[in-house]
Amino acid sequence: MNNRVVFYIVGMNISIIGLSMLFPAFWSIYFGSQDLQGILISSAITTIFGFALYMLLKPKEDLEIRYKEGFAIVTFTWILASVFGSLPFLLTGTLSNFADAFFETMSGFTTTGASVLTNIEGVAPGVLFWRSLTHWLGGMGIVVLFVAILSSVGVGGFQIFRAESTGLSPDRIKPKISESAKVLWNTYLLLSIVQTILLYIGGMNLFDSLCHTFGTMATGGFSTKNQSIGFYDSFYIQWVIIIFMFLAGVNFALYYAVYHSKSLKAFIKDSEFKLYAILVSLATIITTIMLFVEGFGDNFFKTFTDAAFQVVSVITTTGYASLDYNNWPTVTLVTLFALMFIGGCAGSTGGSIKVGRILILLRYMFQELKKAIHPRAVTVTKIGGKIIEEKQLINVMIFFFMFISIFIVSALIISLDNVDFVTALSASAATLTNVGPGFNLVGPAENYSFFSNFSKLYMSFLMLIGRLELYTVLVLLNPIFWKK
Amino acid sequence: MNKKVVFHIVGMNLTIVGLSMLIPAIWSFYYGTKDIYALLISFLITSGFGLLLFFYFKPGRKENEIHYKEGFAVVTFTWLLASLFGTLPFILSGDIVNIADAIFESTSGFTTTGSTILEDIEALQPGIMFWRSLTHWLGGMGILVLFIAILSITGSGGLQVYKAESTSLIDNKLRPKLSETAKILWFTYVMLTLFLVMLLLAGGMSFFDSLCHAFSAIATGGFSTKNLSIGYYDSSYIQWIITIFMFLSGINFALYYPVYKNKNFKSFYKNAEFKLYSLIVFLSISFTFVILYRTFPENGFMDNILDSAFHVISVITSTGFATTDYNLWPEATRIVLFIIMFIGASTGSTVGSIKIGRYLILFKQTSQEIKKILHPKVITKTKIGDKVIEDKMVLNILQFFFMFIFIFIISAIIISFQRIDFVTALTAAGASLTNVGPGLGMVGPMETYSHFNNFNKMYLSFLMLLGRLELFTVLVLLNPVFWKK
Repeated sequence: MNNRVVFYIVGMNISIIGLSMLFPAFWSIYFGSQDLQGILISSAITTIFGFALYMLLKPKEDLEIRYKEGFAIVTFTWILASVFGSLPFLLTGTLSNFADAFFETMSGFTTTGASVLTNIEGVAPGVLFWRSLTHWLGGMGIVVLFVAILSSVGVGGFQIFRAESTGLSPDRIKPKISESAKVLWNTYLLLSIVQTILLYIGGMNLFDSLCHTFGTMATGGFSTKNQSIGFYDSFYIQWVIIIFMFLAGVNFALYYAVYHSKSLKAFIKDSEFKLYAILVSLATIITTIMLFVEGFGDNFFKTFTDAAFQVVSVITTTGYASLDYNNWPTVTLVTLFALMFIGGCAGSTGGSIKVGRILILLRYMFQELKKAIHPRAVTVTKIGGKIIEEKQLINVMIFFFMFISIFIVSALIISLDNVDFVTALSASAATLTNVGPGFNLVGPAENYSFFSNFSKLYMSFLMLIGRLELYTVLVLLNPIFWKK
Repeated sequence: MNKKVVFHIVGMNLTIVGLSMLIPAIWSFYYGTKDIYALLISFLITSGFGLLLFFYFKPGRKENEIHYKEGFAVVTFTWLLASLFGTLPFILSGDIVNIADAIFESTSGFTTTGSTILEDIEALQPGIMFWRSLTHWLGGMGILVLFIAILSITGSGGLQVYKAESTSLIDNKLRPKLSETAKILWFTYVMLTLFLVMLLLAGGMSFFDSLCHAFSAIATGGFSTKNLSIGYYDSSYIQWIITIFMFLSGINFALYYPVYKNKNFKSFYKNAEFKLYSLIVFLSISFTFVILYRTFPENGFMDNILDSAFHVISVITSTGFATTDYNLWPEATRIVLFIIMFIGASTGSTVGSIKIGRYLILFKQTSQEIKKILHPKVITKTKIGDKVIEDKMVLNILQFFFMFIFIFIISAIIISFQRIDFVTALTAAGASLTNVGPGLGMVGPMETYSHFNNFNKMYLSFLMLLGRLELFTVLVLLNPVFWKK
């Protein structure tokens, strides 16, 4: 592996992170809060470190990035971003324990939204803004990651989505990676601006509007309020966030296709989007009905809003809450638990297994059931008119197997902290799938502060591997990777 | 589908099930209990109906062929009808009043699950109690044939592992014919049962109880004759004997015959699945032991080892016996039990769940996939022993894994429509689908399934059947295409 080029690019990324710490610094100045100094020092340290790497390792010849370098760049960028990103928390005294700060930052950059802060509203505005900004930066990173690496390497079957009817095929979107990334970033930026305006109209102040937009569009989940979105007792705000969480869970390339062709055909034709929409509707309906049956609803519209909010929040792996669903009927909780593992669409900022993979797994399953009856019939699995090869099917299925295995083994590791069954299972799932809150002790009204340092670091690792589609990180743990 | 030959064979099987009701009748006679009438009437109805099917659907010479479709139908209908007619002794004797309860109990028996709706097992009449345990043993026998005869044609993942691993055994040492192989497996099964009965007798268990517990242990069922399960016998000897035999029942039965023939254990240590099975069992026991010993030091060293070994093996082999209420154990050990529930033991045994053989291939393929990313152009093959595992088969197994998890989570949602807690919902679905029996929470080892509503009892019975027959066998029958000419 070419270490030089890896750390050259990582250095560049880190200096960008350092510079972006200046945005929260503006808010500190605006509010005249005490955290300005800590943030400026953090910014300086991070930028200088990043810039030093960048300058020292500047490659002399043309830089060549292959798969290996790609994996290393991505993983190290996220890890170092989380290390340096924890500086504002530590230097302002918001968090004193490194494991806490690292957990919080990793949760931010991986767009998870799990928090160790017990009183969010007590945090100084600059730090609070930085916390939400890490989501947005992480989301941006994921968009590039998808375009640049995952869809070109055979990682977990992602190449299947590369040239789907979504419009990302070379002949429709500009062929170069950087061009594609720009298109997707513009979509991301545009959606963020629209949401901020809509929230602002709904009576949220600019600061909160921005923070909640960052949390929504990146499918993160950090709020500026202890009660999360439940603080705003407003249907308007809840529905704006529901809709934008849903939109953030859609493959961003679809928006470009719509913009390009001026018709919504791309959505209607996309089988992944259809499954996503069906799952969201189905889960919302079941949840609404069960809430009524079990006596949790008095008003139809309110119950429907509650159900839709929580369902969309969980399936897109955002993790916002409009109420404490911990005491909801079990059937709705198990449904939310199952949704955690589905996640958003490929090419969105949603984490977890992703609707696209679930689609392939389900299609193949039904096809095999048919085949058992006609064993000699030759069948192929198709997604959007494209044939999925056996190798790719194996890719997708192994991904599923690994995901479930890592989830369950992690639940065991977390349970060594003497937490109950449901907490252990849902904490493991909520961090691996980047949802954030789980059930019981890690429910939406609770936080992760009571875990041991070991568990906090372990769960930070889980967020990272979940966010980077397992393989990206796991190949680095393979000794072969480091051999010349 | 050739319905004639299907119901001809199903009729034969049902007749055998009916005949076997005479064995518990002997116990009723011996104890002079009234359930003898119920058993005799059940016998008449079941065998009568079986014979009726047998003769009514006598296939002509040309219709005597069994293809995939017929195979699936024979197996599913045999289990279904056996479970239905197997309820007769419970209902006619008045020991179980509710039909859904009886179906649950009988299905739990024939699928070697071992979950019960009976609050007080000791109140059962001896004939009925014996019948209950016998259903396990019959179910276990059925699985061994099913395994050989049906799964070998359809290639439903697990068996291919077995084939790949023990082709040499099958081809050279064991006779190649299916019926011969079945006989050898049955012989092993009967011998293991006999040994266990003798060892339990030597430990002071009554003959009746020894038989019942041996049926349960070797079939990896889990029905006991006591409310406290094996915990009733406060004897380390009995607990260790059962631990060992549960472990033995989790081994591929085809491995025993070469030992007997060649007088060496080569077949064991050359078998990758057996090695992984032993490793997983060892690791789970060690982990459980360390945590238990730290939590309950007052129980002493040996008792903690015994408790860990007994329950780990009981769950991984999908038996479901208990000597203590592991519901009260520390959370980490409960999660270990929950995980190994989904592992199961070796293919070619009477255990349920996903099975080690499949994991063996899944693990190998996973490491292949990671290597492949680093060297995308290198063509790699997954191997077990010297056998190359083809992509088709890897897909089959992966597919099975996905389906298993998918059905599990959907089922957890379905049963939680009744007001139960999260842990109970998850483990009841898990324990039924994997044929373990007891789970955690309200379906823990000292609890029963009696608190479920009738719908859930029927649904869980369906899950047991689904899990026992390796999903596909049952699911294809639900496809309308199956029934088209």
